[in-house]
Amino acid sequence: MITKKIPNIILTIIACIVAYAFLLPLLFMVSTSFKGLSDALGSSSLLPQQVTFKNYVDLFNQTSSAPILKWAFNTLVVTVLGTMLRLITSTLAAYSLARLNVPFKKGILIGLIWAMAIPEIVTYFPLFYIFKNTGMLNTYLPLILPSGAGAMTVYLIYQFMLGFPRELEEAAFVDGASLVKILLRIVLPSVKPILITQGFIVFLGLYNTYLWPSLVVSRTEMNTITLGIASLVLGENYVNPGLMMAATVVAVIPTILIFMFLNKYIVRGFTQSGIK
Amino acid sequence: MKAGKKVSVFFILPFVLFFILFWLVPFFYGFYMSLHNFSLINGDRGFIGVDNYIKILFSSSMYHSSFFLGLKNTLIFVALSVPPLVLLSLALALLVDNLPNKVKGLFRTIYFISYSVSVTAVASIFIWMLKGNGGYLNNLLMNLKITAAPIPWLESQPFVWISLTIATVWWTIGYNMMLFINGLNEIDVSIYEASAIDGAGFWTKFVSITMPNIKNIFFFVLMTTIIASFNVYGQPRLMTAGGPGQTTKPLIMVINSAIMDQNNMGIGNAMAILMGLIIMAVSLGQYFMTKEKEKIRIK
Repeated sequence: MITKKIPNIILTIIACIVAYAFLLPLLFMVSTSFKGLSDALGSSSLLPQQVTFKNYVDLFNQTSSAPILKWAFNTLVVTVLGTMLRLITSTLAAYSLARLNVPFKKGILIGLIWAMAIPEIVTYFPLFYIFKNTGMLNTYLPLILPSGAGAMTVYLIYQFMLGFPRELEEAAFVDGASLVKILLRIVLPSVKPILITQGFIVFLGLYNTYLWPSLVVSRTEMNTITLGIASLVLGENYVNPGLMMAATVVAVIPTILIFMFLNKYIVRGFTQSGIK
Repeated sequence: MKAGKKVSVFFILPFVLFFILFWLVPFFYGFYMSLHNFSLINGDRGFIGVDNYIKILFSSSMYHSSFFLGLKNTLIFVALSVPPLVLLSLALALLVDNLPNKVKGLFRTIYFISYSVSVTAVASIFIWMLKGNGGYLNNLLMNLKITAAPIPWLESQPFVWISLTIATVWWTIGYNMMLFINGLNEIDVSIYEASAIDGAGFWTKFVSITMPNIKNIFFFVLMTTIIASFNVYGQPRLMTAGGPGQTTKPLIMVINSAIMDQNNMGIGNAMAILMGLIIMAVSLGQYFMTKEKEKIRIK
C-alpha cells in the first residue's frame, strides 16, 4: 500500500486491461480449438463463427501421429512415479542428515551445495549418453530415475527439519518406539507442509520439462504430453491451427487447474526454493 | 537420539545411490569426454587434453564460430528479455499490491497462470497467433487496416526477436511478480503510514521505502532471470528453429547440434562446461553482492 491517491477504480481498470493481455493467448487457444479450418486460418475474430467439436474428435481419432491418450498415460506414469521417488529419497536422506549420526555428514552437505550450484546443462548430455549406451532411450527409466537425485529437495527438507524441535522424537524414542514408527507418526506429519509444496513443484517440473525428454525420447508413442505438443509443432503435417490448439488445451488443462486452485502451495514452494 | 549408524546409512543410501548414478557420474564423465576425441557413434578415440576447449575458444573451426554465434544470440536474448521480466514484474507487483483487497487474489492468479504451461504449449499458441500467413494477429491488423501486408513475426528480423521476447515475458513474468509480491508483503505497513502523514508522494515512497526494503529480492530476481534467460532453448527451437539464418540459435541449440548432428560428444561437452562456467560466474556475482550488503547492514 504505497498510496491512496490514485483512485481504486482507475487501478482496477488498468489491472483489467493487463489481465486481458495475459488471458488473450489462452482465450485464443481455447476459441481456436473450436474453430473450423477456414475460420481458424482466415478470421480476425477471437470467437468462432460456428462452434465445432471436430478438432477434438479428430484429435482423439488420430492415434497414429498423435496418440494423445497414450501421451497422457505416459505423463501420468512419469510425473507420479518421479514425484514419489523424489519425495521418498529426499525425506529419508534429510532425516538421516538432520537427526541421525550419519557418517561423512559434512562431506554430503557440501556435496549437496555444490550440486545445487552447478548448472544442469553440464550433466544433461553425458547422462543422455549413459542412457543411450545402456539401451534405455525411449523407455520410462530416463524420464523417472534422475528424479531420485534431487539435491535441492534434500537440502530444503533438511533445513525444515532443523527448524523443528527434536524433543518429541526423543521422548518417543525413550518410550521405546521404533525408528520407523517415529518416522511415520512424528516426523512425517511435521514435514508434511514442505512435502506438499515441494511435491507440487517437482510434479509441475516433470510435467512441463522439455529439453531433457527431447534428448531421451524419440518414439512418438513414448512422448509425454509436453513432448507430444513439441512433436506436433515441429511436424510438417500439422497445418490445422484448430487441431493444434485442441491438443494444447488438453495438454495444459491439468497444470492450469492446479495453478488456479492450489496456487497458495505453489507459491510457497517456489519461495522455499528461492529466498527464505 | 542414539540410533545406530547402520540405520542412518540405510536411510541416506537410496538418495546417495541415485545422486552418484545420475549426477556425480555424468558430471565427471562429461568432463572426461570434454578432454577426449569423443564421438557419439564411435565412442572414445583418445585423450587430447584441452584441444576441444582450444578449438572452441581460439581456433577458426566451425565449432569456434558456432559457439560464439550461440553465445552472441543468447546474450541478445538476455539483454532483450531481462529488463521487461524484472522491471515489468515489479510494476505488476506494485499494481496488484495497490489494488482493493477484494480483487487482489483474482488478478494475482490471472497474471501468474501463464507460468503453469509448458514451453511447448507457449510455442504452439504463439506460432498460431503470430504466423505470417493465417496467424491471428496479422489477420486482425490487416482487417483493421493497420498494416497492408502481413508482418513476418516469425520469419524475419527484428520481428523474430520481438516475438520471442513477448512470448517469454508472457510465459514467465508472473513468477517474478510473485516473488516481488512476497517481498512487498513483508514491508512493515506502519512505515508507509508514517510517511503518508509526512505527505510523501508515490515516487518518494517508492525510492526511499519500497526499493531499499526489497533490494535483496530485486537482486535475486535479476540474477535468477539472467540465468533462466541464459538457458533459453524451447522458444527458439520450436518457434523459429533458430532462424532466420541462425540469428536466434542459442547456446543450448548449438551444443545440441554439435552432439546430435555432428556426433561430437567431446566438443559438445566442452561447450556445455564452458556455458556452465559462465552461468556460475553470474551466480557467484550474486553471492558476493548479497554478502557485501550484509556487511553494510552490520555497520
